[in-house]
Amino acid sequence: MIFSLNELVHWLGLTIFEIWINLVSLTIFTILLAMKIDNNYFAGNGGWWIIFSPLFIGDGLNTYFCAIIFIRMQMDGVMKSAILRALWSLTFLLLVFVFKYLLCKKLSGQSSLEYSEVLSPVFILLQLIAVRACQLH
Amino acid sequence: MAVLHRALFTWFNLLIFLILLVLRLDLRIQWNWFIVFIPMWLYDNILLIYIIFRMISHCKNGHDHISSLRRKAWYMTAVLTKLSGQGLLCLKLEATQLTLPAKVVLAPLWVLLLTLGCDVFIHLIQHSRY
Repeated sequence: MIFSLNELVHWLGLTIFEIWINLVSLTIFTILLAMKIDNNYFAGNGGWWIIFSPLFIGDGLNTYFCAIIFIRMQMDGVMKSAILRALWSLTFLLLVFVFKYLLCKKLSGQSSLEYSEVLSPVFILLQLIAVRACQLH
Repeated sequence: MAVLHRALFTWFNLLIFLILLVLRLDLRIQWNWFIVFIPMWLYDNILLIYIIFRMISHCKNGHDHISSLRRKAWYMTAVLTKLSGQGLLCLKLEATQLTLPAKVVLAPLWVLLLTLGCDVFIHLIQHSRY
């Protein structure tokens, strides 16, 4: 659309495979969400955790994939770029995970945080993404 | 537009939208959901104009690459799907007496996510770069 896939890869620091995993997990998440809202499936305390599970599984797969890339880059001898890439992936995955975790806790009524606090990891991530956008050329 | 301008424009729109969303969810403001989504409407409409402009310039320059034009038409369909999904979501949140089922609201999003997933997967297979 406004960006090509390669531009997105450069900007967000994600690989195409990670983007695909995120898309698939988001699709399954929205299907479960529709089932919850329409048919009242997954009622009870653990319901929201089941609905969010595709997103957490997607995060886990992405972490595993990033770990493999880090090890392979290290074996190829590109230490500096391997560490920089691993650091960025770790920050990205951690912030997104914390956001999902806090949102899930808030929706299940296990925490009394406000939405501004729940979304704070996303705002931090946005600042980091803005810095990365300035490095684009 | 350079990639930097496009990235910063997207970033700014997203930031404003998230700030409005947080304020509305925390009930600090009681605005209509259609107003909260204004940054997204603005962004999608500018995106549509941008794609139409590129399609016109493509046709005017006499390029005969039909695949490139088809790609731009797919981008336009994707933006229109996003717009309809957002419209339905706002309607669901605002007009509670309508009792729209969540399946109907999320259907455009599913179509968009599935086609995007297929598109990215084909790209992944064709270029064999992860």
